[in-house]
Amino acid sequence: MIRDLVSALDYSMFAELALALFVVAFATMTYGTLRLSKNASDRFASIPLSDDVEDPRP
Amino acid sequence: MATGTPTNGPGDAALSSDSGTEEVRLEQFQYDDGIVRLFATATIVWGIVATLVGLIVAVLLVLPSITGGLPWFSFARLRPLHTNAAIFAFAGNGIFAAVYYSTQRLCKARMWSDVLSRMHFWGWQLVIVSAAITLPLGITQSREYAELEWPIDILIAVVWLFIFGGNFLMTLIKRRERHMYVALWFYIATIVTVALLHVFNNLVIPAGWFKGYSIYAGVQDAFMQWWYGHNAVAFFLTTPFLGLMYYFLPKAAERPVFSYKLSIIHFWSLVFIYIWAGPHHLHYTALPEWASTIGMLFSLMLWMPSWGGMINGLLTLRGAWHKVAADPVLKFFVVGVTFYGMSTFEGPMLSIKSINAFTHYTDWTIAHVHAGALGWNGFMVFGMLYWMLPRLFQTKMWSEKLVSLHFWTGTIGILLYIIPIYAAGLMQGWMWRAMDDTGHLMYPDFIETTQSIVPLWWLRVVGGVLYVSGMLMLGLNAMMTWMGRPAEYENPVHTAPRLSKSYVDHTPTPTSPIDDAPVLELGKKVSIWSQMGWHRRWERLPVRFTVFTTIAVVVATLFEVIPTFLIRSNVPTIATVKPYTPLELAGRHIFVSEGCYNCHSQMIRPIVSETKRYGEYSKPGEFIYDRPFQWGSRRIGPDLAREGGKQSSFWHWTHFENPENVSPGSVMPAYGHLLTEDMNYDAIAPHVKVAAYLGAEYTEEDLNNTAEVAYKQAEYIAADIVAQGGPAKAYEKQAIALIAYLQRVGVDLFATEEPAATEEPAAPEAVEGEEAETTEEVADGDFTPEASSEDAAAK
Repeated sequence: MIRDLVSALDYSMFAELALALFVVAFATMTYGTLRLSKNASDRFASIPLSDDVEDPRP
Repeated sequence: MATGTPTNGPGDAALSSDSGTEEVRLEQFQYDDGIVRLFATATIVWGIVATLVGLIVAVLLVLPSITGGLPWFSFARLRPLHTNAAIFAFAGNGIFAAVYYSTQRLCKARMWSDVLSRMHFWGWQLVIVSAAITLPLGITQSREYAELEWPIDILIAVVWLFIFGGNFLMTLIKRRERHMYVALWFYIATIVTVALLHVFNNLVIPAGWFKGYSIYAGVQDAFMQWWYGHNAVAFFLTTPFLGLMYYFLPKAAERPVFSYKLSIIHFWSLVFIYIWAGPHHLHYTALPEWASTIGMLFSLMLWMPSWGGMINGLLTLRGAWHKVAADPVLKFFVVGVTFYGMSTFEGPMLSIKSINAFTHYTDWTIAHVHAGALGWNGFMVFGMLYWMLPRLFQTKMWSEKLVSLHFWTGTIGILLYIIPIYAAGLMQGWMWRAMDDTGHLMYPDFIETTQSIVPLWWLRVVGGVLYVSGMLMLGLNAMMTWMGRPAEYENPVHTAPRLSKSYVDHTPTPTSPIDDAPVLELGKKVSIWSQMGWHRRWERLPVRFTVFTTIAVVVATLFEVIPTFLIRSNVPTIATVKPYTPLELAGRHIFVSEGCYNCHSQMIRPIVSETKRYGEYSKPGEFIYDRPFQWGSRRIGPDLAREGGKQSSFWHWTHFENPENVSPGSVMPAYGHLLTEDMNYDAIAPHVKVAAYLGAEYTEEDLNNTAEVAYKQAEYIAADIVAQGGPAKAYEKQAIALIAYLQRVGVDLFATEEPAATEEPAAPEAVEGEEAETTEEVADGDFTPEASSEDAAAK
C-alpha cells in the first residue's frame, strides 16, 4: 500500500515540502525560544561553570 | 564538597536518608577521571598515528614508487586508513574524552557503570586496531568512512550503541542536575544518529568472514552511502564537537555561553536540517533530480544554524578577549571555531549545483575536509586537551611555551596545507573543462592535469610535516606532564541530593494573555503552547528528549529514503545490462579491495567536458549490479565508467606492472603483486552465490561450476594477452580477473540484445565453425584448449 501511496506522489514537490516542513519547525522553535525567560536562560547558560552541585537548587 | 574517599566504594553511595523522603536524600559520589585519562591518552596516540599516516599518503602521491610496490603501503590502501584513523581514532577518542569528562560534571554524577566505561574504551581501541590491520590488507567495503567489513561493523554497533549509548543514557537518567545542559543534547543527537547511520548503511549479506555485499546497489547504494557519509561529518565531526565547545569554551573563558537561546535554536535547526543534506554529494550523477535538489536546498540552509553556533562560540569570549592573547587554550578554541565558520560557509557553497559541478572530484574537496578536520576538529581537541591535561594529571603543564609553539606550528601547517590544495582544485577544475575555440578539450590527456598540480602536492607535504610536528609536541608535552603527576591522584568526593522521581515544577501554571479576550478556546491553548513550557519539560526528560531527537532525524531520512527505495522508476533498468560474470565479479572484488575508487571515479556526469573526455554519460540503470557503487569522490586518475574495451588487455597488464610504461608521468603506483599472486578460482563461488541471492541472474553452471566458468574466461583473456606479446600463463594471476572486470565496465549500455532464439536450432556446422575460429585464435596465442581444459580440471 505504501508503494502505491508513494507512487502517487509528485517528487518535484519534495524539495518544497521539505522546506515548508523546516520553516514551520524552525519558526516554532525560534518563537518559543525567544520567549524563554532571561532568568532561566542565564541559569542554564551557567551550568558548565560549576562542577559542584548547588544546593538548594535554584 | 569534601575531599577523601567515600566509604561505599568509588561510585555513588547513599549518605543519609534522615527524613525518609527522596527529595532530601544526600548522596556521595566521585567523578571517574580515570576513563577520561585513558581516552585523552588514546586521542594523542592515535592523533599522532593518523597524521603520520596522512603525511605518508601525501608523500606517496608525489613519490609513488617510494614503497617499492608493497601492496600494504599503497596510496589506495593507506588513504582509507588515514581517514579512518583521523575520524574514528583521533576525533573519536577525543569525543569520548570530552563526553566522559563533561557529562559527569553536567549531570553531577559518576558514569553509570565503570565496567561499561572500560568496555567502551577497550572495545573502541579493538575496533581501531582491527581497522589498522584489515585496511592495509585490502579487506574493505570501499565505501568512504564505512570501509570496515561486517564483523568489525557489528563490533562498532555493539560498542557504540549498547555499551557507550547505554552507559550514557543511564547516566542521564541517574543524574543529579535537573536541567540537561545543551552540550548533552548534542551528545544525545550524536549517539542516536550515528547508531542509525551506521546500522542502516552497513546492512550486508556476508560472503565470508572478510567480505560482505551491501543489500543496496548502484544508485541506492550511493544514496545510502552519502546519507551516511555526509551525516558522519554532521553527527561525528560536528555535533559532538559543538557539545564539546558548549562545555569547554565557557570553562576555559570562565564565561557563561553567550546566548543559551541561540544554542537551543542552533541545536534543533542543525539536527533537523543536517540529515537531509547528503545528496549534494551526488549532483549530476544518476541520482534523481528531486533528491539532489533537496540536498542542495538543505545544505544552503545549514549555513545559518552553523554560523549561529560559531557566533555563539566566539561571542562567549565577549569581555575575555584579553585572555585569548595570553592563553593558548583559548587561541586553539578561537581558531577552531573560526575554521568551523569557514568550513560551514564553504560547505553550503560547494553544494550549489553549478559550483559543485566545478569542484566535485577535484582537490578542492580535499582542502575543504582538511580545513574542517585539521582546523575545527583538530584544534578543538587540542584546546580541550590542553585545558584538561593539567586537571587530569593534577599538575602544571610541562611547557606552556611548547603549547604556544604547537598552536603556531599547527596554524601555519593548516594554511600551508589547504591553500596549495585549494589552488590545485581550481587548476584541476579549469583544466578538466578547458576547451579551445574549435570545441576540443585543451588538455585531453588526463595526466597533464595531474602533473601540473604535483608541485602543489609538495607544498602540502610541507604543511603536513608542520602539523605532524605539532602533534608530536602535544605528545611530548602530555607525556612530560604525566611524568610530573602526583604519587596518588586526589579524588574529590562530592555530596548532593539525588533528584526526586516526581518533579514538582514551581513555575506558575502558564496562562494566556488572551484569557479574557473573546477568542476561541483553541486560540488560548495555542497561546499557552507557544510559551514552550513543554520544551522546558523535555529538557528534564532524557528518554523523551532522545526519542524526539530520533524522530527529527528519522522523519527527514524517511522523506528521502522511501521514494528512493520504493519507486522502481527511480532506477530504470536497461535490458542490455547484465550481471558480471564470475571472473568479472572476482575482478571487481580486487578493484574494491585495492581501493581503486580513491583515485578513479566511475561516474560520467552529463557535462560537455566530461562526455568529451570519457564518453557517454552514466545512466542509473547501468549500476543495478554494482555492490558497492564505485562512483568515487575524487579523480587522481581518469574516470573509468567507460573503460571497457578502451585499451587492450595487455595494456592493462603492463599498466599494473608499471604505469609509467604506458602512461609516462603517472602518479599511480605499480601493482606488481597482481601479476605475481595466484588467482584462487575456488574462492569466487561465495561471491557469485551472494550476488545471485541479491538478485543477479546467474545460470546453474555459473552457480555450481563457478571456478570452471571463471577459469574458462580467464583463459581467453590470457590468450589475448599472449597474442599481444604478453607473458604466458597470465590466467593464473589475479590481474587477469581485474582486467576482465575493467574490460566489462561501461560496455553493457552499448551492447545489442541477443536476438530471441529461433525455433530451428543453429546448424551444427556453423557452431563447429565458430569453435574452430576461436580455437585458431587461441592457438595463435600459444595456448592450447586441451591444456587449459586439463588445467581447469586440475583446479
